[in-house]
Formats: sequence, C-alpha cells, structure tokens
Amino acid sequence: MSSEILGFPGIKDEYDIIIVGAGPAGALAAREAAKKGASVLVLDRRKELGAPVRCGEGLGAKYPEKFGIKLSPGAISAHINGARVIAPNLKDDIIIRTPETKGFVLDRKVFDKDLAKDAARAGASIFSKAEVYDLIQEGGKVKGVKVNFDGGKREVRSKIVIAADGAESVIARLAGMKDGVSTLYDTDYGMEYEMANVKLEENGKDFSDLIELFFGREWAPRGYTWIFPKGKDVANVGVGIGGLEAPNAIHYLHKFLADPRMKYRLGNASIIATKGGAIPVCQPLKEFVKDGFMVTGTAAHQVDPIHGGGIGLALNAGRLAGIVAGECALENKVDAASLDRYKKIWYEEEWGKFGKRLALRKVLEKMNDDDFNSILSTINDKDIDLVLEGKFAPVVQKVLVKRPQLLKVLTVLVNL
Amino acid sequence: MAVTINHDKCIYCGACVATCPYLALRLREVYVEVYPDKCVDCGLCVKACPMGCITLPKK
Repeated sequence: MSSEILGFPGIKDEYDIIIVGAGPAGALAAREAAKKGASVLVLDRRKELGAPVRCGEGLGAKYPEKFGIKLSPGAISAHINGARVIAPNLKDDIIIRTPETKGFVLDRKVFDKDLAKDAARAGASIFSKAEVYDLIQEGGKVKGVKVNFDGGKREVRSKIVIAADGAESVIARLAGMKDGVSTLYDTDYGMEYEMANVKLEENGKDFSDLIELFFGREWAPRGYTWIFPKGKDVANVGVGIGGLEAPNAIHYLHKFLADPRMKYRLGNASIIATKGGAIPVCQPLKEFVKDGFMVTGTAAHQVDPIHGGGIGLALNAGRLAGIVAGECALENKVDAASLDRYKKIWYEEEWGKFGKRLALRKVLEKMNDDDFNSILSTINDKDIDLVLEGKFAPVVQKVLVKRPQLLKVLTVLVNL
Repeated sequence: MAVTINHDKCIYCGACVATCPYLALRLREVYVEVYPDKCVDCGLCVKACPMGCITLPKK
C-alpha cells in the first residue's frame, strides 16, 4: 500500500534509512545520508517543523560554518559577543567576551526549516505530521517503523532507523535502550517565556549582545536562570532546575520575574511565547546503536552538561550518524558492529570536551550560593575562559586561596 | 488509575514523557496522552513537570 495525496508522491514502502524527528540532529543526519546516495525518509510528528520551540535557542558561532550550514537572515534573532555570569546576590558579575562565547540566539522556527530544506535538496524525503508510534522489530533487529500518516496507520521498512526524537527519546526506548529514559537526578527541567518590552540594559550598561546566566539555589537550584536576547527589547527568559528540586521550574521563573531587583528590566515585559522541556544533562547513552538502529542528538543525551545546550552537539552527532548510516546502508552492512563506527567517531571528536564538562558539572552541583558568590568575586573573565577550554588547574588554585574549604570538591578537576 | 494532566495548564513540552520509565505518556501534536494501562502512579512525571500541572490520583 502506498500513501498518495491526490497523486503527490507519498511515503514509499521501503527506504535505506528512516529518520524519526526533523530537529537539528535528524535534519543533518538526513542531509549527510542523502548526500552519500542512500534513499532517506524523515518523519516528524509535528505539523510544523521547528514548532513549538522548546529551547533557549543559543548556538555557538563556530557551528554553522563547521557543518556547512548557511544561516538565512531570519534564522538569527540576535548576534552574541559574550556571556555575563551573575552571582546569586544579583550584584557581582563577570562578562566574558571570547571566541568560545560568541554565537547566535536563533529563531528555531526558521532555523529548523532551513536545515530541513537543505536535507530535502540533498534528496531526503521529509514529511511533517507523520507520527511514528512504534518500531517494526524482528528477532531483536529494527526493520522499520509504524507511522500514523494522512489519517491512516501503516508500516514502512528500512535497513536503518535513526532515532532523533529529542529529549523524550521514546523511539530509543521502544528499541529496548533502557537508558533512553531521563531519570530525575540526571535531568534538568526548564521553563521559558519569550518576552517583549524587556530592558537589555541597566545603569548605563548594555547587555544586548550578551547571554546572561544567573546562578544560585535561590533562583535555580542545580541549574541557572537565563536571559537570551532575541532583539533590541525581546528576550528568552527562562530557568532550568535539577529534577529532584521542588516545586517546579515555573515557580522559580515567576519568583525571578517578581524580584524587585529585576523590576527595571523585566517589570513591564510581556509574554509572547511559553516554552518548556526536559534537558538530559548526564552521560550520553551507553550504546548509540543496535542492529539496524541508531540514536542521535538529545535523544542520545548528547547535550552539554554545563549549559544544557543541545543544538551544536546535535548538529555534529546527526551529521556523523548520517555519514555512517549512508555508508553502511550502501554496503548493506547494518549490524550493530558496523554502525558503531558512529559512536567511535563521536567519542574521538566530542569526548575530550564533553568528559571534562561532565566532571565540572559534578563539581558545580556540590557548591552552595556562598561558594558561588565567593568564586565570582575572586575570578575574572580570563579565568572563565580557561575553564571553558578545560584548563582548570590555574583557576582552581586561585579559588582555593580565597575559599580553601572547597579543596576536596575541586581537587578532582586538577587531576583530569 | 493514572495521573491526571491539567490540559488548561499543560504546554505539551514533553518533560513528563522524557521522565516516564513506563512509556505511559506520549507527546501528541497539541497535548500529552496518558495511557492508563501503562501508568503505575509512580509520580515521577509530577516531579518533572515544569508547569506543575500533573497530579496523582486521590487515594
């Protein structure tokens, strides 16, 4: 049976590769696999790619060029030149302007569609409002998907299925990858308002080209509160908290918005969008592949353990998964051992930085607000740059002079 | 029994889906669907929900 929309070529019965989810990871996987010459089908549950947005929308400056992505003007909401880190007292701050902190705040509704268009141009076949509700599995091998499309349920077979379905990671779990579930401990939960009539300045200081990160248990236990500019007076204002923290993210966001010290900047702002979601901030999945099956992007928990950003990592992971899937499909070698080349390359390219950041996260989790206040009044922008580069030792030394009680907590970073 | 979602408050962000070990919640186009036959009332999604819009059944 083949689905036809009034003669428009619908979903065929069989493909080399089926990708579930057309976010950054899925779209890049589709583009690369199609470029290799594989037949690629992309299925997305949503009726509009990129929407609803569930994301702070920040992306490092280096990524688009590195991965061959041309940003259309509409995909960029704001150009970012640095980051401002604010202490729990809402007073002390450090502003960092380095290559590592340059980037964009995107408009995901435009960005995601741009990526999908590139994938389509490369030859991938993409369908929105096509909900994959189950996998076809035979003898422990994934053989395709069951999809709800155009008012009917049907099966589509493939050599490889790539799960790129984001934080829910439902497809990986249907394939039996138990660690696809986000445990409360290993997940941050976020809530965000896109706000208009925001003041991106105060006391003569201009913050309009900075992402702002507010730390402290009072504002965001085990996470941070953010203001990401999206224009002259528009910003994503959000909070992510650890999963074991009570009561919930919206409580902390409202508390932040209501604080008298934020009144000048946010007191007259309007809410033009409400967003939220789960952010896995833990180890990546133990396995990225099984026979005929791959997981990529946030679905594989490939999310920055420090800032919870997922777009940059998803772009690269999707790209690598797509390249390997394309090659394996054409060679007809789709067993787990062949597909596992994707995991090997991912670790070669990402683990050096990822592993260090995971260790840093564990350290930050152990600190209290007094620690943060003390550290942020001690270190400067160059120190933060060193930390971002993974060079912890000199900064640890500086902090310990002022706050020796952190010795035990910080030693682990020196030994990395 | 199963959890109840306040659909007036839910922003269908999927946080509960990511957290449910039993796949008892699935994200649909404009709502979150609860599968009562899979829900064991463990309450993990209640803790996860950023909006605080999920409740356990009354004992």
